[in-house]
Amino acid sequence: MTRDQESGARSQESASSFQLPASNRKHSLIGTSPQRIEGRAKVTGAATYVDDMQFGPNLLHGMLKHSPIPHGIIVRIDVSKARALPGVRVVVTGEDFPGYTGLYLKDRRIFALDRVRYVGDTIAAVAADTPEIAQQAVDLIEVEFEPLPGVFDPEFGASPEAPLIHPELGNYEAVPFIFPQPGTNVSNWMKVRKGDMDKGWAEADLVYEHKYRVPHIQHVPLETHVCVAQQDVNGKITLWSSSQSPFAQRNLIAKALHISHSKLRVITPYVGGGFGCKAGVSMEGAAVALAMNAKGRPVKLRMTREEEFYTTFVRQGLVAIIKMGMTQEGRITAVHNRFYWDGGASTEYGTNITRAAGYSGTGPYYVPNIHIDSLCVYTNHPVGGAMRGFGMPEIHWGIEQHIDQMAEKLGLDPVQVRLINCLKDGDETLTGMIMHPTGLSQCIQKAAEAIGWTSPPAPLLEGEGSHKRRGKGLAAMWKAPAMPPNPGSSAIVRMNEDGTATVSIGGVDIGQGALTAMAQLAAEGLGVKIEDVRVNTVDTDYSPYEWQTVASRLTWSMGNAVLQAAENAKLQILQTVAEAWNEDINDLDIIDGQVVSYRSEESRSLRDIAVYGMQRPDGTWIGGPVLGRGNFMPEYVTPLDPETGQGPRAVVHFTTGCQAVEVEVDEETGEVQVLKIVSAYDVGRAINPDMVRTQMEGGAVQGMSTALLEGIILQNGVPRNPNFTDYRIATAVDAPLELESIIVEVPQDDGPFGARGVGEHPMVPTAPAIANAVYNAVGIRIDSMPITSEKVWRELAKTRP
Amino acid sequence: MQPFDYLIPKDHAEASALLAAGGGSVRPFMGGTDFLIRARGGFIRPQSVVDLKVLPGMREIRQSPDGWLVIGAACTMNQVAAHPLVLAGYDLLAQACNSVASYQLRNRATIGGNCCNASPAADTAPALFCLDAVAETYGPAGARRIPIADFFVGPGRSALQLGEFLTAIHLPPAPTGACGAFNKLGRTKLGDISAVSVAVYAWEHDTETPRRDWRIALGAVGPTPLRAPEAEAALAADASPQGVQRAAELTAAAARPIDDIRASAAYRRAMVAVLARRGIEAVLAGIARAGLQAVPFGGVPAGSVSPTGVLREGRPEQMIGGAA
Amino acid sequence: MNHDIHLIVNGEAYLLSVPAHHTLLQVLREQLVLTGTKNGCEAGECGACAVLVKWPGADHAEPVNSCMVLAPEADGAEIVTIEGLAHDEQLDPLQEAFITTGATQCGFCTPGILVNARALLDRTPDPSETEIREALVGNLCRCTGYVRIIDAIEMAARAGREVAR
Repeated sequence: MTRDQESGARSQESASSFQLPASNRKHSLIGTSPQRIEGRAKVTGAATYVDDMQFGPNLLHGMLKHSPIPHGIIVRIDVSKARALPGVRVVVTGEDFPGYTGLYLKDRRIFALDRVRYVGDTIAAVAADTPEIAQQAVDLIEVEFEPLPGVFDPEFGASPEAPLIHPELGNYEAVPFIFPQPGTNVSNWMKVRKGDMDKGWAEADLVYEHKYRVPHIQHVPLETHVCVAQQDVNGKITLWSSSQSPFAQRNLIAKALHISHSKLRVITPYVGGGFGCKAGVSMEGAAVALAMNAKGRPVKLRMTREEEFYTTFVRQGLVAIIKMGMTQEGRITAVHNRFYWDGGASTEYGTNITRAAGYSGTGPYYVPNIHIDSLCVYTNHPVGGAMRGFGMPEIHWGIEQHIDQMAEKLGLDPVQVRLINCLKDGDETLTGMIMHPTGLSQCIQKAAEAIGWTSPPAPLLEGEGSHKRRGKGLAAMWKAPAMPPNPGSSAIVRMNEDGTATVSIGGVDIGQGALTAMAQLAAEGLGVKIEDVRVNTVDTDYSPYEWQTVASRLTWSMGNAVLQAAENAKLQILQTVAEAWNEDINDLDIIDGQVVSYRSEESRSLRDIAVYGMQRPDGTWIGGPVLGRGNFMPEYVTPLDPETGQGPRAVVHFTTGCQAVEVEVDEETGEVQVLKIVSAYDVGRAINPDMVRTQMEGGAVQGMSTALLEGIILQNGVPRNPNFTDYRIATAVDAPLELESIIVEVPQDDGPFGARGVGEHPMVPTAPAIANAVYNAVGIRIDSMPITSEKVWRELAKTRP
Repeated sequence: MQPFDYLIPKDHAEASALLAAGGGSVRPFMGGTDFLIRARGGFIRPQSVVDLKVLPGMREIRQSPDGWLVIGAACTMNQVAAHPLVLAGYDLLAQACNSVASYQLRNRATIGGNCCNASPAADTAPALFCLDAVAETYGPAGARRIPIADFFVGPGRSALQLGEFLTAIHLPPAPTGACGAFNKLGRTKLGDISAVSVAVYAWEHDTETPRRDWRIALGAVGPTPLRAPEAEAALAADASPQGVQRAAELTAAAARPIDDIRASAAYRRAMVAVLARRGIEAVLAGIARAGLQAVPFGGVPAGSVSPTGVLREGRPEQMIGGAA
Repeated sequence: MNHDIHLIVNGEAYLLSVPAHHTLLQVLREQLVLTGTKNGCEAGECGACAVLVKWPGADHAEPVNSCMVLAPEADGAEIVTIEGLAHDEQLDPLQEAFITTGATQCGFCTPGILVNARALLDRTPDPSETEIREALVGNLCRCTGYVRIIDAIEMAARAGREVAR
């Protein structure tokens, strides 16, 4: 079914049953790369972020009291000294807000009540006249603990010997597709069972198992979490929040604090990076709790860089045990994978990551016989949440190295092995979904070609006799938007008196370029120039609903809503003109802000029509202010069987891709220099090709940074490197010398102009591609991230006599 | 950050008196790059800071009548690294200064602060050890001079006493044919705190014999920066490729590293050998080049020995230009 | 413990009373409401708060992280923030190049990088790619992967040379 047919099916409630003919689609802006519409604001310092907003001297400064121990019973909290400190206006604790909250599993409180579960757990919050007083007040809060034994490893945590971190797990409310195991630390057990494992192993010429590890990663947005909350005289609360999810924040906080959705307003201006950590709710609930007791004064809560590292969301750690069978020819016969996720102290968001890992657990390959267990395990570690890739970088770290290991043991070319097994149009995925048309094979071929897969590495920078060795590696990937089956998008296109259009959306531009892509879609759908489209940032009182800015879903889902709203506005305008001019609507069009008639060759500016309407021949008026509406929600995702993970349609679609890298390894020091990264992704249709490439570039370097440098060092639950001094991320000097980005376009049937998302995907295969290239260069396999110089050196030392 | 006051002393004596009277609660302040992190983190809770860089001479680099180079303690890293007198005779120190953090931080970080924090990983320290630097201090008992090796007492502990502060670093006249190389290894390729650093320095023993004297000093592999005297002596006797390898091994043997989150002791020790060998080879290459070019001091052009090991190509002298 | 200081910021003179323990970053953001300068770590590591400072007696401005300067220290200094990079609606060539090349994404690191890049081009009008990368080592960016930032600085350097010609 084409997109046009489907939009016809969806638009029954629009202004008329009439649909714009497909020939009306000019695609003049689609596939072009206009500059970022907020670019000028960002390069001049004029772009306003939450911390830049001015609230006057009445502003209170919030601060959180964090647990210093990883696990323990709270015996006593004494806030009396803090309350008595002059300048302290509010102190709140769990007793004031005892309810549970969470996105997929309600296992979290805004403030710890009876026990703390990680170093950084929030125990209390204060608001004071100055940050200095707030800090003094936090220091004056006395908390007495009875320490409990901790769980610091997910495999141990899943075992019967482990102490229980959430004894109440059985009472927690969960969405229907999450399967907590009461009486254990397993908050979700996602199973995939398919085919006949015995048969699969019997058909294999090689069966090989290996364990891979991924540490906790921090997102490191340059802007830390920050919000301001204020309650007005009617009890209505406004939350200015640096968020990827203004609507989800409204929903979760309203429910947790038992306030009406209409009494909570979330405003999100520009956001200084998110990468998943600003999805859902982390510390914003505490700010609202403070504001509810602040007698109308606004309360700001801003995480320091140190707090950002371990008290907001982190990417979960993973232990993956991968077992694969393969024939001599390179065909995968069976996969048995066990994923032990280090979910941290709460898995309200992380449970769905472990589900995504389950239904994507083979990687992008056709496998007939499958046994996958993806276990979300409570540990006394920081709270796991969404991060760019949502479980995929973690599982592909193992899967994509495993493919290379299998290929090598069988004497096969890893590129050929991937091409043999990779999913193609019509293949059945591990959950029984039929794979839609996908450019995965093309991506693998193009990436391999661009890195010069079949030619030897380029000569060394330092010439012969050097202690440096070069190698190439490659990894493929797939990722579906991981979300509930029914996440909605909506959009409003309002016409202004001067013929320009204002687009209201509920999705957030966190740097990915959503405002610009939506402006393109609106301009295209309406028939105006992109300069004549303004796209608003989010205010839940005025913006239409959007589930969350996650899952690489905005261009696809919100894009559909914006395009529909623009076309709806266009339709209303053309209906007015058709009646006023007594013409057939099929002869009318809007081009660059002018309504034109192909029959009469008359034209009229939108300026004259869009708000004031038009005069009929008899002197009366028709039309009026034009307000286009659009919405989108996938209506075809099916549940999966809890015991087998099977179902007709697990997800909306998969974006696929491949990365190839060339590295240079210093055999003496173990240092890895990434020379080049080639990224090739099937984006369906690139609405703005240049911005697609910026996503590929940024994702590749973020992936490289996690591959070589990153990991939160946790010793008995204590973060040892919560700062930029010891949590290093890649700098301009570390970035690859060359990046190449290749766009493959196999259209998505229900995406706007065929588009599907690509925001997260470019960091998924980078790390295993680098690991494969390091192996290719020096013959050592690093199975635990990150690939530090020291690890490379240590493994190399083992190979020497 | 909790409140404290900011004091401008009118002279050395007042600065010393303020520091002495305040005990630990009045802190010396120069570039602030270390102080501000510690104060904001609550690791120190000063009542006030005394800004020492306003005192005479603290931000000056000059040659004394006896030929020594005197670097005021509050000179920034960029100021030291770009100074003509430093580049002419003490390129090793310029290399070390340029390896610290980032350009904009090097506009704040001072050479004196680098020493006074007494971190074993202080990047200027191995260079200063090689150059036989002498620290000049001012305290209640007046001025005194302390050999740099005695200035570093332990991790975070300098020889400064209550009320005493560092005023200058003195470098003896650069010997004939001097050549140095500073190499460090961090996690990122540039700007990281050193997991290991090695400075190598050589000069002509006298003009009559072909013999050379050597200095090798190490950072981040002991409670203080330290020298490798056995390696130095071995190199003086034998700078053949085998001799270089032996000296590198002796340098590693001199290291006293520990395990921490930045690196293990074993890796540090092994890297000392690698960086020492590379440094010695770079110095030998620099000497050979200097011989060909007959440069009086024989200094290696700044930046020709790369702290990154990769990526460095061309015109490094422009990149260190800048601060005053 | 407040101190009176004189500052010239983006060409405008100010007399301010500042708490001794406040940083220059706080003065710029909170007292002068020049919020283009960003707070990313308050530890001198990320570069988001970089501004150009010409100290009293100095002959030119140099980039510093404003989180690493105490407010009273800045007495008498001339400061240029991101807001002062453009003149009379005319963007700095670097700003133009950042828009053209797509060198900004979330935009939070952008002001500090632009200020630092301005200083680089002022002291090295024709930097090599290596020099650009090394000059940016104290400016963290999590969105772009740096490549377009490097491209933009090269583009602005070319534009600057053409103007000079």
